[in-house]
Amino acid sequence: MAAQTLTIALAGNPNVGKSTLFNALTGSRQHVGNWPGKTVEKKEGFFQLGGWNTQVVDLPGTYSLAAFSVEERIARDYVIQEHPDVVVAVVDASNLERNLYLVTQFIELEMPLILVLNMSDMAHNRGIRIDPKQLSVALGGTPVVETVGSRGTGLEALKATLERVIKQGQSAPAVQLDYGEELEAELSKLEAEIASVGALAEQGKPRWLALKLLENDAEVVAAVRKMGCSSLLDAASEMIDRITESSGEDPETLITSARYSFVARTVSGAVTRPETFMRTRSDRVDSIVTHKIWGLPIFLAMMWLVFQLTANVSAPYLDWTDSLINGPLARGIQALLMLFGLHGTWVESLVIDGIVAGVGGVLVFVPVLLFLYTAIAVLEDSGYMARAAFVMDRLMRSIGLNGKSFLPLLIGFGCTVPAVYATRTLEHENDRKLTAFIATFMSCGARLPVYAIFGAAFFGAAAGNLVFSLYILGILIALATGIVAKRTIYRNAPPQPFVLELPPYRMPTPRNLVTHVWERTSGFVRKAATVILSCSIAIWLLMAIPTHAGVGEFNAVAPEDSLFGTVSQVIAPVFAPAGFGNWQSAGSLLTGFLAKEVIIGSMSQIYVGGSEAIASEDENLPTLGEEISGIVTSFAQATVLTAQEFINIIPRTINLIPVFSVPEAQFLPATEEEEDTGPLSQALMNSFTPLAAVAFNVFVLLYVPCMAATTAMRHEFGTRMMAYQLAYTIVIAWVAAVLVYQIGSLLGIGTA
Amino acid sequence: MSSTYTLDQLLPGQSGRVTRVGGEGALRRRLMDMGLVAGVDVMLLKRAPLGDPLEYKLRGYHLSLRKSEAQTIQVDLQ
Ligand SMILES: Nc1nc2c(ncn2[C@@H]2O[C@H](COP(=O)(O)OP(=O)(O)OP(=O)(O)O)[C@@H](O)[C@H]2O)c(=O)[nH]1
Repeated sequence: MAAQTLTIALAGNPNVGKSTLFNALTGSRQHVGNWPGKTVEKKEGFFQLGGWNTQVVDLPGTYSLAAFSVEERIARDYVIQEHPDVVVAVVDASNLERNLYLVTQFIELEMPLILVLNMSDMAHNRGIRIDPKQLSVALGGTPVVETVGSRGTGLEALKATLERVIKQGQSAPAVQLDYGEELEAELSKLEAEIASVGALAEQGKPRWLALKLLENDAEVVAAVRKMGCSSLLDAASEMIDRITESSGEDPETLITSARYSFVARTVSGAVTRPETFMRTRSDRVDSIVTHKIWGLPIFLAMMWLVFQLTANVSAPYLDWTDSLINGPLARGIQALLMLFGLHGTWVESLVIDGIVAGVGGVLVFVPVLLFLYTAIAVLEDSGYMARAAFVMDRLMRSIGLNGKSFLPLLIGFGCTVPAVYATRTLEHENDRKLTAFIATFMSCGARLPVYAIFGAAFFGAAAGNLVFSLYILGILIALATGIVAKRTIYRNAPPQPFVLELPPYRMPTPRNLVTHVWERTSGFVRKAATVILSCSIAIWLLMAIPTHAGVGEFNAVAPEDSLFGTVSQVIAPVFAPAGFGNWQSAGSLLTGFLAKEVIIGSMSQIYVGGSEAIASEDENLPTLGEEISGIVTSFAQATVLTAQEFINIIPRTINLIPVFSVPEAQFLPATEEEEDTGPLSQALMNSFTPLAAVAFNVFVLLYVPCMAATTAMRHEFGTRMMAYQLAYTIVIAWVAAVLVYQIGSLLGIGTA
Repeated sequence: MSSTYTLDQLLPGQSGRVTRVGGEGALRRRLMDMGLVAGVDVMLLKRAPLGDPLEYKLRGYHLSLRKSEAQTIQVDLQ
């Protein structure tokens, strides 16, 4: 009997605690992916129920089963096509009326159903009393279970109910919604006709299909048309006209109203609510947070906080991860290779410079993502995210985006990778794509070192102006892209309604935070590993292969004589109109795909000559004990620095106002990172004119996001979207750089 | 006799009973799915700091609509 597998589907409105229940049921036996071809998350998991291996599928949170949004279509198609053994409809007990509306649509589908009254603690706090027996009767005997997902209360009862329902042979609720005399008469006629067409059986039950035809549901109409039952469609559209004529309302409206009337009757029979209108704590919080005057400043402060968290507070751990990988880990592997007699061979170089560096490239993002996801989870679970959209919608709409686009774009100034993932908070796929697409133009932290080196070399004290202009240019290009996209590609897309629920404020639960954060971060690591690894290895290979005889051997060749140098030379002329058509620039830009700050490293290696070996031959290697204590102390230091950065958000924020200068906290003596950029500056000044330098920086700002961001893009939106972005950013960057250089030359600015 | 207004014309704290949901297609369906059908009482809670969108209370929960969306819904004042 172990071979038998049951399937149950979890359905419900967004934010009712479905994921919480899902996690409680399946524990760690779960898989998170996407629904085929969609950017909507799909979660599946298993647990043992009685003797059955039971599969749980978490359907996307939806308000309805109309076929208008992607989520609704997924949920509906799944239930109709995959026939789960039971649908567990999770509802928010403190908001029963709107939640039961979705349940009526599962009743229409004639699916075996269990109703879970989650958040029963919230309902209780608000003085709402629900009689589960009454409710069950009104819903045609649907079993009703009360739970508090965040505390795990009622989980055993839910399992017991599931088991009982399965053992008894599951059946659909014994209740039908009444749509009124006139509609019912037409429905039964249509139903009879549908029942006579055998091929339609797999599209759904006859009564449900009849309803959908009267609702003029695009998907069902298309399916029926494909079956060649056009007479059925004609009959339905005649009925629609007749009903609309005689009642003054179309059937879709009448059917929706009938569902809500059924819900209202059910609720009034089974629920008692306090008479007086209670002003809840949530209302009080809301009156401050979305206040006419305080609303915007609070919003900006929140966003600033999240930005600081991802950009600065996560930095010490990022550095720690980086030094762990390039220090002890690389040394350890080197020692291991030495044991096998591979020291100094190309294998060592491949492993250290290709593989370890590649793995490092993935792992350094982990601290950033941990901070980002924690911040997002808090904002979402607390209910603030919806308010942020509420407060910002007006502004963001003027550039064709949605209030929720603000956060991802802001995070983009820290790092594009978390910015791409932050778009998950947007509801509509188009908004999600567009926001992620333009987030790359927000100048991320990794581009800053490039501007800084060039700025210092060419503009001295005025370097700040270069940096500032670049940031502004990025924002302008992002806005222009957004506006153009809305006018062109999305011109025919129906306007996205901003019909948004503002959930009550809630305290986020730590357990939920941890699962969310872990799920998403590990998802990135899994997806990014292969791509980033292959890119690192590819660049390493290019650098290692000599292109002609006599210039060196495999893995012992100067950059300009390697395949990498040749490729750079081939590409270089493309940049001539932008003023930097030398192979050195082209080559550095190529490596910039690994990560944009790498550009500076490459340039110093190419112009000045490399001197950055990890551990030179005769240096005393630390012992294992030293390594471990080194790792531990540096972790402790990173923790202290993180705390310091966290506290420093305050002075840093105050210092934004020019007249203030509050000192920042410093817990540890600053370690001077001596970076000798003198020779590099000199070399740059020799090979770039100031104008070409500006054009080069413009290109660095705009061209392809780094490979990690590209991977994130593919992870979220698929290969095609990624390819579009790569192509678009390269073209824009080139055009902008060329324009800067050519116009500047015409005007005679900075040409010498 | 109460005169007919649209939902965006309510003042903060004022309630109305929905008589008709206009608009069409996905938007109209979405509005109805969220419980905006004839006969339901809706109260305007507040406007966003920039004047749009608007926050309403209906069926025991809070819903935000843009002004342009609220304009498609007719109400009788209570
Ligand atoms: N007070 C209370 N909070 C709960 C309960 N169940 C879940 N929560 C919290 O409600 C929030 C939303 O829960 P999720 O499980 O993410 O909701 P969901 O339905 O999966 O949401 P979507 O992913 O948006 O569809 C989390 O902060 C939970 O901790 C409950 O019974 N009582």
